[in-house]
Amino acid sequence: MIKELKILFAIVVIVLIGYYGIEDLAHHEMYGNIPKPDFNYLDLQYDIKEKGNPQNGENLFKQNCLSCHSLKVKNLKAMMDENTAMHAFNVVPPDLSNRANIVEEHFLFNFIKNPQNATKNPKFAMPPQPQLTDKQITDIVSFLKTVAKKDIQGEEIIEDACTRCHNIKYQKIEAHTNPENLKKYLGKIPPDLSLKGKSRDKEYLVAFINNPQTVLPGTSMPRLGLTKESTEKVVNYLEHIADPHKEERNKIGMWVLIYMLIGVILTYSWKKKIWKSLK
Amino acid sequence: MRFIDWLDERLEIRKLIKVSLTDYKVPKNINFLWSFGMLLVLTFAILFISGLFLLMYYKPDAKLAFDSVNKTIIMDVSYGWLFRHVHAVAASIVFLLMFIHIGRGIYYGSYKSPREIVWITGYILFILFAATAFTGYLLPWGQMSYWAAQTITTLFEKIPFIGPQLVIWLRGDYAVSDPTLTRFFALHVTLLPVLIMIVMGIHLYSVRIVGSNNEDGKPIDKKKEGVPFWPVFMSKEFFVMSVFLLFFFYLVFFKFDFAMDRVNFEPANPLQTPTHIYPEWYFLAFYEVLRGFFFSQNLGLIAFALSMVMILFLPWLDKSPTVSGKNRPLFQIAFWIFVIDVLVLTILGKLPPTGLYAWVGFFAALVFFGFFISLPIIARIEKKQLEGDKK
Repeated sequence: MIKELKILFAIVVIVLIGYYGIEDLAHHEMYGNIPKPDFNYLDLQYDIKEKGNPQNGENLFKQNCLSCHSLKVKNLKAMMDENTAMHAFNVVPPDLSNRANIVEEHFLFNFIKNPQNATKNPKFAMPPQPQLTDKQITDIVSFLKTVAKKDIQGEEIIEDACTRCHNIKYQKIEAHTNPENLKKYLGKIPPDLSLKGKSRDKEYLVAFINNPQTVLPGTSMPRLGLTKESTEKVVNYLEHIADPHKEERNKIGMWVLIYMLIGVILTYSWKKKIWKSLK
Repeated sequence: MRFIDWLDERLEIRKLIKVSLTDYKVPKNINFLWSFGMLLVLTFAILFISGLFLLMYYKPDAKLAFDSVNKTIIMDVSYGWLFRHVHAVAASIVFLLMFIHIGRGIYYGSYKSPREIVWITGYILFILFAATAFTGYLLPWGQMSYWAAQTITTLFEKIPFIGPQLVIWLRGDYAVSDPTLTRFFALHVTLLPVLIMIVMGIHLYSVRIVGSNNEDGKPIDKKKEGVPFWPVFMSKEFFVMSVFLLFFFYLVFFKFDFAMDRVNFEPANPLQTPTHIYPEWYFLAFYEVLRGFFFSQNLGLIAFALSMVMILFLPWLDKSPTVSGKNRPLFQIAFWIFVIDVLVLTILGKLPPTGLYAWVGFFAALVFFGFFISLPIIARIEKKQLEGDKK
């Protein structure tokens, strides 16, 4: 008995060394360190210095943004329809209703000032807005903040921030922009997101969404400036759709293990009974 | 007339039970490591049954395969995920069991006369399982499926004379593509499992003839010693099986991803090579022997081929009269170095082959062959010692 436990112990030790050697040590070494996400976007230089005026921001929004962007919460339609915009910019411009609560404020300010710099994508479709002063941008940001929904779900964030370019085939979601236009805009068709929650781990997804260039240099995915909260919601949603049976699995798993444990007890007592009669 | 009598008249069922179970004696001094043969039969049965259910929904077509596995089977079919995870986990665990089974065979000298046929059929089973795992791994048509198949089939190119033609014949095309998928599928679900069942039958039959080895390596007098296979040994076997199943289902429900590489949840893309290509964990040691000779690809390939067949020749490399490693101190040292070396090779197989790792890999590959070379030498020393003792 003691001897058999010793053998078992030796096997368990060898298997565990192998497992941690392959999975943790080697896997980590192979894929390298994933850069830490920065949700304050500290590399962006302009700071919001004063409090914005939402009323003023609404007027500025209508004058400067409405030509391409709609604002459904206020029933404001973009002057350009989606199809025309798509052919002009090779991507459908987003509705901005919830944008200010998905995206970090400081990022949004810098983004309006210089989209190419903020997204770290020199080919980003939205042009810079040099006609707006810092005060005016602050007003627009504060206006967008007042209209945006407070508690927004992962699915809605995905709809808002990802599916203009990405398909999610298994959820029957198709990218809003045509594949041909996306190819012209980004150089290739962006990958489907159905299983990203499984093909990448959480740490990678968070870091990648936070700052694509640091994780995958040269990628055509722009930095979106999502807040920590919205990034986590997006990643949780991606993990959920990639592995929809997780809860069911854990629940059934517990029962199966209890059943097997009973099996262990029963077979052990039978074995003991039979081997006792031998001596 | 009772049913059993009716059956006995026609099939001699009583005699069969007697010969193969109740009268078949196994030594009393065998530990739970001798249960791994039956565990392997059990795991093969699990693979067979779960595979059968997967077969009902799987589509062997390059355009459909990935979605049929990852959407239809895992997401849509009732408990499809369970069968998929059971199959994938069992495919990985079967190799762990096989390695322990082989390791036990080496340590206690189970390959020695008169058990050569047991050893040879066991070796053939290992190769058949490896081929089944390799062909099966392509079927989900993920990135790693595709590129592992592409890389491994390329190795055959270097075989003298027939290499390049052989590779095309294996793939059914100039690169891994739809024809490769369909032929791997055909082999995976028909020929290979059938061969496994046949060879498994011969393996078990040959064990029945020569009897189980034991810890001391001394043959038992079957008339006086030993315990009947049924019910005595099987009562222990069932206990080991249920402990194994507890572990197995823990993996299936709570840790299934250990057997599935994340990269393989990306659909196969012939135009985009993944950053790293590596085989499943059970092939890593052999793969590292190949990479160990980093300065010469040809030498690496020869070493790789040798590493796969070396173990077959154990009965003829180790001619020591002492059977069990338990009574062979020198052999024990060689054995444990070999075990640690295989562990090192396995871990190195997944590390980048650069700098220090490359040299450690080369050294570990040499140690791997060193074990097989040391066996005849150890045997000779032991023979001399035995003769000295007699005088």
